[in-house]
This record gives sequence, C-alpha cells and structure tokens, in this order.
Amino acid sequence: MIPDPHAFLLLDGAMGTMLQRMGMKPGESSEQMNFSRPDWIESIHRAYIDAGSRVIYANTFSANRRKLRQSGHSVRQTVYAAVAVARRAAAGTDVQVALDVGPLGELLEPLGTLSFEDAYDLFAEIMEAGAEAGADLIAIETMTDLYEAKAALLAAKERTKLPVFVTMSFDAAGRTFTGCTVASMAHTLEGLGADAIGINCSLGPGELLPLIQELRRHTALPLIAKPNAGLPDPADGHYSMTASAFADAMLALARAGAVCLGGCCGTDPDFIRQLSASLAGVTPMAAAAPCVSFVCTPTCPLPLTGVRVIGERLNPTGKKRFQQALMENDLDYLVRVAAEEMDAGADLLDVNVGYPGVDEKTLLPRAVKALQAAVDVPLQLDSADPAALEAALRVYNGKPAVNSVNGTEESLCAILPLVKKYGAAVVGLTLDENGIPQTAEQRFAIAKKIVDRAGALGIPRQDVWIDCLTLTVSAQQEQAEETLRAVGMVTHRLGVHTVLGVSNISFGLPNRPLITSAFLLRALSAGLTLPIVNPCQREIMDMIAAFRVLSGEDQKCQRYVERFAQASPAAAPSPAERRLTLADAIVRGLSADAALLAREALASQEEMALVEGTLIPALDRVGADYEAGRAFLPQLLSAAQAAQAVFEEIKTSLARKGHEAVSKGTIVLATVQGDVHDIGKNIVKTVLENYGYTVLDLGKDVPPDRIADAVREGNIRLAGLSALMTTTLPAMEKTVRLLHSLPHPPAVMVGGAVVTPEYARAMGADFYAKDARAAVAIARQVWSAEET
Amino acid sequence: MTIPISEALRYLGIRDPDPDTLARVKAQARALEDRVTPRYTYRICPIERHEKGWLLKEADILLPGRLAGKMMASCHLAALLLCTLGAQFDAMLRAAQARDMAAAVMLDACGSAYVEAGCDSAQREIAARFPDLYLTDRFSPGYGDLPLALQGDWLRALNGEKRLGVCETKAHVLIPAKSVTAVLGLSSQPQPAILRGCGVCALKGQCAYRERGLFYDS
Repeated sequence: MIPDPHAFLLLDGAMGTMLQRMGMKPGESSEQMNFSRPDWIESIHRAYIDAGSRVIYANTFSANRRKLRQSGHSVRQTVYAAVAVARRAAAGTDVQVALDVGPLGELLEPLGTLSFEDAYDLFAEIMEAGAEAGADLIAIETMTDLYEAKAALLAAKERTKLPVFVTMSFDAAGRTFTGCTVASMAHTLEGLGADAIGINCSLGPGELLPLIQELRRHTALPLIAKPNAGLPDPADGHYSMTASAFADAMLALARAGAVCLGGCCGTDPDFIRQLSASLAGVTPMAAAAPCVSFVCTPTCPLPLTGVRVIGERLNPTGKKRFQQALMENDLDYLVRVAAEEMDAGADLLDVNVGYPGVDEKTLLPRAVKALQAAVDVPLQLDSADPAALEAALRVYNGKPAVNSVNGTEESLCAILPLVKKYGAAVVGLTLDENGIPQTAEQRFAIAKKIVDRAGALGIPRQDVWIDCLTLTVSAQQEQAEETLRAVGMVTHRLGVHTVLGVSNISFGLPNRPLITSAFLLRALSAGLTLPIVNPCQREIMDMIAAFRVLSGEDQKCQRYVERFAQASPAAAPSPAERRLTLADAIVRGLSADAALLAREALASQEEMALVEGTLIPALDRVGADYEAGRAFLPQLLSAAQAAQAVFEEIKTSLARKGHEAVSKGTIVLATVQGDVHDIGKNIVKTVLENYGYTVLDLGKDVPPDRIADAVREGNIRLAGLSALMTTTLPAMEKTVRLLHSLPHPPAVMVGGAVVTPEYARAMGADFYAKDARAAVAIARQVWSAEET
Repeated sequence: MTIPISEALRYLGIRDPDPDTLARVKAQARALEDRVTPRYTYRICPIERHEKGWLLKEADILLPGRLAGKMMASCHLAALLLCTLGAQFDAMLRAAQARDMAAAVMLDACGSAYVEAGCDSAQREIAARFPDLYLTDRFSPGYGDLPLALQGDWLRALNGEKRLGVCETKAHVLIPAKSVTAVLGLSSQPQPAILRGCGVCALKGQCAYRERGLFYDS
C-alpha cells in the first residue's frame, strides 16, 4: 500500500527494546526469537496494534545471510517465520505487515570491502523471501550509507512489486555516519522510486525536527519519522524520554510534514498510544514538489541555482594521453585529471571512456567507482551506448546526470526509460534523424519534443537539460548565432536548463581561449547555465567568475574577491630565473617546476635518458637522505610526487610520438585478504612508479586467487604483498605459497606493520621490504637478476 | 578537541621538523579538525573474576589472558570504550591520496593522533563520572595477549554499528580506519601506570620508530 500523503499513518515502535524487557539475554539475536519465542514476538505486535499501529514491522531487521551465518536458519526460513508471526498478530485487522530490512552489518566499498553488486544480491534474497512470505510492503531502515540504501531499494523494486519505505539515520547536524546529507538522500531515493522516505533511529523527535523540515524542502513524497525515545544515557544506553513528551514532540514533526509516524529504540506501545491520541484533529501538511534541478553525491548536494561548470577533460576525444590511459586501464590517471578539474572549480564532471578497443560497458562503471572513491563532485555519465550507461547508472552513488538523449526515436526509447528508472537528470541534444538542424526554431522544436517525452515518462521537467549544440565557428560561421538564439528560446520558452560544449566553438583558430571565452560570455548572457568547459583553463574560469558577479549569483562579489586575492600580483619567477635544476625541483618536491623543467629538457633529450640520467639519481638522493634520517616520509613522497609530474610529461611526449610507455617492469601489489588498511601499499606504489616501474595495483582485501591470476595473466616477475594486522598474516602466507606454486613463480616481497624479516622467511617470501625504499632496491635486484 | 601535533609527528617518524614540514602537518591537522570530530561511546559494567578470565556479565564479554588479569586485579567495574573518526576521515584520506601522497601520510598520522585524543577525552569523562575511583591504563584487543577477535564482542556490546557506524571485517579489522576499541578498569585503589612506553609493546623488536631513534617513555 502506498501511503496517502493527506492522512497520517501510524507505524509501530521498538522491537529490540521490548524483547530485552521480556527477557532476551545479551548476545541473543532478535531474529532467533522468531523460532525460540514466537509468542513474545506476537504479543509485541499485538500490543502495537492495540495501541493504534496500522503498519507493524516484522522481526526481520537483521535477517540477511551475513548476519544469520551462525544462526542455523536461512534467510528464507527466518523471513517466513517472522512474517507469519506478524500476520497472525494482524489477523482480522486491516493492519499491514512490513518486511523490515536493516543494514547488512558490513560496509560497502570504497569504505569497506563489500561490493555494491554483492550487497544487491544479499538484499535481493531478503526481498524475494519477504514478498513470497506475504509481506504487504518493504521498510528499509536505519541506513547510514546511501549506497547501501540504493542497493536495497533497487533490489526491492526489481525483485518485488511491493511499496517501499526507506529511512536513514542522521546525526543532529544532518549527516549520516558516512556523511550523507538529507538533500542527497531525498533526491537519490525519490529518483530511484521509493514510495515514502524519512528518518529513523539515532535521534529523538526534538532533534529530528530541523531534519524533517529540510527533507520536506527536497521532496513531495510522504515523509516517515520513527525517532528514538530521546537520546540515550552514554553510560548505560538507557532512554529516559516519557511517552507523553515523545507524543508532544512528534506532533511538531507531523506539523512539519511527516505523515508516517512511529518510534524506534526505547519506545513501546504506550508511546504509540499517546502519539495516536495527540494526532487527533491534526491535518497533514500539503507538500509542494521541488522545482530546482539537483544532482549529487551523498556528501556533495548540488542544486542547480546559477551557473554550474561541467568539466570536459574526462574524455578521450583528441587526447592521446587519455586514450593511452584507457587502453592501459589506468584509472589512476582518470582520477588525477578529475581531481585537477574539481580543484580548479568544476561543479560536476562529464565522464566519457568511449574509445575503439575499450569495453565501455565494463570500463564506465569501473571508472565511476574509482572516481567516486576519491573525487567528491557529481558526475555526468557520457556514452552513446545505453548498456554502458545503465551499468554506470546502477553503480553511481547519488543522483547523476546522463549525457545524452537526442530527438531520434531510437535514442528517446533507449535512454529515457533508464533516466526514469535510476532517477537521473539528462542532457537532451537538439538533433534527430535528420541531423543537426540549421535554425534555432528547428532545434527548439526538438528540445520541446525531448522535454515532452521525458515528462510523459514522469521525468521532472527540471531534470531535462537541453544542449543546443556548439558548431565550429571557423567552419560554419553563421551557426554560432543560431546556437545562441536557440539557447535563449529554450531558456525563456521551455524554462529548462541549457548545456553547451563551449570549447568546440574555437576549433581550428589561433588563440582559442579568446574565442571560447567570448562565446561563453555570450552564451551565458543568453541563458546558458551549464557550460561544459576545461576548468583548468584560467581564462575560462575567470570569465565565469566575472559573469557570476554581474548576474548577482556571486553575492557581495565574495567568491570573485577570494579568487583574485589568492592570485599573486606579480608572476612568480621562472625556475630558470631561480637557477633551479630539474634534479633540485624533484628533490625539493616542487611538482609544477619539475614538470616545466622536464618539458624543456625533453626538447633536447630522449625520454629514457631523462629518466636514467636525472630523475632516478634525484630520487636516490632523497632516498639516501631518508635512510640516513635526514629526510622523512613526507619529503620522500613529495619528491616522488614531483617525479610523477615528470613522468606525466614523459608519457605525454611518448603518446604524442605514438611510442609505447616506458616501463622497467611490471609489479603486482596488493593488500592481502582481510586487510583494509592500504596506505602503506599505496606509499610503496607511489615510489615504485616514480622509479619507472609499472604497478598493477589490485587494491585491498584481495583473495590469494586473484593475485595469482593477475601474476599468471601478466607473467609478472615480482609481486608485493602488504598486511597490517596479525590476523591477516595467514592470508599473506597462503598467498605466498600459492604464488610459489605457479608454473613460472614470481619473486614475492612482503611488508607492512606486523611483518618481520623472521615472519617473511617463515612464510617463504623471497624478500622482506621494510619500506618503500627497500621495495625499490628489491625491484632493482629482481630485474638485474632477470637480465643476467 | 584538537590534534596533538607532537603525536602526529611521532607517527610520521619526525623528530625535529623543519618549518615547512611542521606547517604542512599543522595544515593537515586544521583541515581534519574542521571536518571531523572524534565520536565515542562507552559502557560501564561490573566485572568479576571467572575461571577463564574476567567477565563483564552485562555486556557478555570475557577478557582472557595475563594482561587483563594484571590490569583488572583490583577492579570491580570496567569501562568498554569505542572511539572513531568515522567514514569522513577515510573519504578525506582517499581524496588526499589521489592528489598528494605526502599530504596523505601527514593526514593519516594526524588521524591516528586524533582518535587517541578522542579516547583520552572519553577517559577523562569516565574519570569525572567516578571521582572516587581510580582508572587503570587503557588497553585494547590485539594488545599483549588480549585477542583481537574480541573486537566483534565490543561492537555488539556497545551497539557500535548503530551508534557510531563502526563494523569489523572477518579478520577483525575495524572500519572506518581510525576506530579504536579499548577497556579500562575502575578500582577503589590507586592504579600504577603499567602500559605506557615502549617496554610493554609487542612490536618493540621491529619498530620502525625505534629504529629511527624515536622512543616513547612512560
């Protein structure tokens, strides 16, 4: 049953609190009670029904395969038992039974090690069991990770036809444990098709009020409030709020727009009874649908109010270095580019990995995961392949944009249903079966068609952004004006956002930034709100900063002043003026200078000569200082970072010439199974890479088989394993033994906080690496032995 | 709550920082303090001697081994403690690693110092609640002969997943990364400082800090 936004719906109160009162012992699980004391469970349900609850939550909060592992019961058995008890209690009433679904108890990637796909499977099992057992609806609750909530909601929507409630737990500052904001939750879950959303647990009703008010501003869905009985005493965990105080505070939540009301930890049937009484005569507040377009990550909500810059650089078109990174599966490069764009002021990033030879359907979702782990801005998923888009939409955490749909029947039919299902915003290109129209009127007509078709599918109007298409002015000069006219018409007549790939205007002309920024200013004046540009081009971002002042978006010129207060009045002296050598720049960790000097050096020097003659001796200098205690880890890494900037220049130079990348050899690195602390392994990786080795980084919590597979497939000569905890040493040993049993076994080096030379020997490792410098020495030794 | 910079430097293995390094560590500390506050929860339970160790009956936790025996010898109460910097620290660290590895290791060290400062703060709070009792040193699963596998019991007893968002992996590693479980005893008799300093550390034979001449005295 989908809740009526115009009528209150009374939910139940706590189950765990009641079970504890009835005598459940510490260490016993609630789910176990479905089998051992079904009479207790039934009596609790009955008490809530008698108190006025119209929905009762079956005792299935932790009924997932992971948490039931040692219970002796399957998910299906547990869910069936719990739903049956609830059904018995509700017999003869119109009370609805909800399948209660809590967190899995294991954190998802990138924070933890559980993949989104595995989380989905765990939830799918519960949802299917719940629907078969006869639940009337699904209540996903107490979520603190929006990604996990998404996995659960997708599983509920795809595997059942039941209505779905989703509630998350926030702190008083309006963030979940993973930093998710109320706004991000609202837009993401509504987009994914939740029937009602809200907040439960962790706070009392008083603390919940500002959060419910915030939620109301971001969604018109029915809102759920199921708070605790106040805040627990930190020493003993007991709740002290009375039922009447709770009911009073809940009334304020009802007046703020919550319609589905109940209690969580510390509440009992008396709380529900008093809540029911206090609602008599109160009318639910009418909700208005928000009309501002919105995209987000969990921690970065982005309402589109004003000009929002979309970074264009995550795209292989015309970029040899980017193409090479795609061919090598080098996602670290994509992440570095993304971080540069974000730091330069991009509000969202377009991401396109389409290139001949690339399996976009596999790579785009992988890129999305890698980017979202490190760069906190919303993404615009850019592909011509609907399957790749769907794969990326599935794993995106938050609300993304899709680039793009166009006016062709094929595109409208393939793309818009995906946009609707996953709750994204979408860019609509004003072209159709006949290509790009020559006049603004024709482009407007296509824009209108796209907006209408999206609307017919239930995609909110504000979530369709129209791209009136920039053509190259040197080739089709009159089209610049048509594009600008179309932007104006779409902005004023359709009232939707417009997107433009601005840089395309200046292709083939000298002094491109001048033409690009002149066109940008005209487009912004015509109404463009979402320019797709290179945010690392200073002129472009300066122009946008100026426009934001003139349009009034940058209030009191604050951002403008900040931007230019930072810029030093006189240009810094060049490295040559400072008599800085490339080696010095590396030693001192001056990345920008090192890159500049490397570019100069490459004009007269071969790439490998630069690596061997300058870069490595400089790194060795810092390394020797580090070993002697004259330099510390941050200095060693700063030098490595500067060396990385030099390598970037070398790779760009080689890619331009169409040469293979330089590599002294490929090393597999992994943090062993069970271990999730990987900064040590990442330090080793940084240093090895900047000595010219290629590192195949398998990540953290890597099972022995996967490491062995990677070694076998790449015929790898050296593998490095890291472990931080004593409990993961057995996994390390198992991996070493497995690697040594391969037909062509690699040398294996091990390291990490708990590994000693003795342990290393005992587990059969070939080398013990006490730190990153030692790993370099080992690599040198391995490859010099290979050569002889 | 502030980050003790000297502790962060110690984790970095730095004895006499040059002004530039010191400024960079301080900048990381400030950025961390701006975005994250350590959160903690604790629970105080009666403790009794049991044939297999020390039992916290209410929390269903048994502390086996010599270390617990020595620490709890004269205690009638124990405080179970969980402190974390939360997932936002891990996100900050990932973002830093994508940009600047040197900054990342400094942030990591600041995080380690910060979560310990959070534990200190919780410990002061506990001490203030029991002005007539003496606290033992704080110690943790994985320390001495107290099994790391107890972390799960801690999380359950403190409802750590629901209250602070802390989970453990199958190998008993806590996530988020900067999370600490600890226990301390409360006694009516003055307690000697036992655990401070390198002397009791299981890793002392191989410690990178000691190798670089950095010692930690009680």
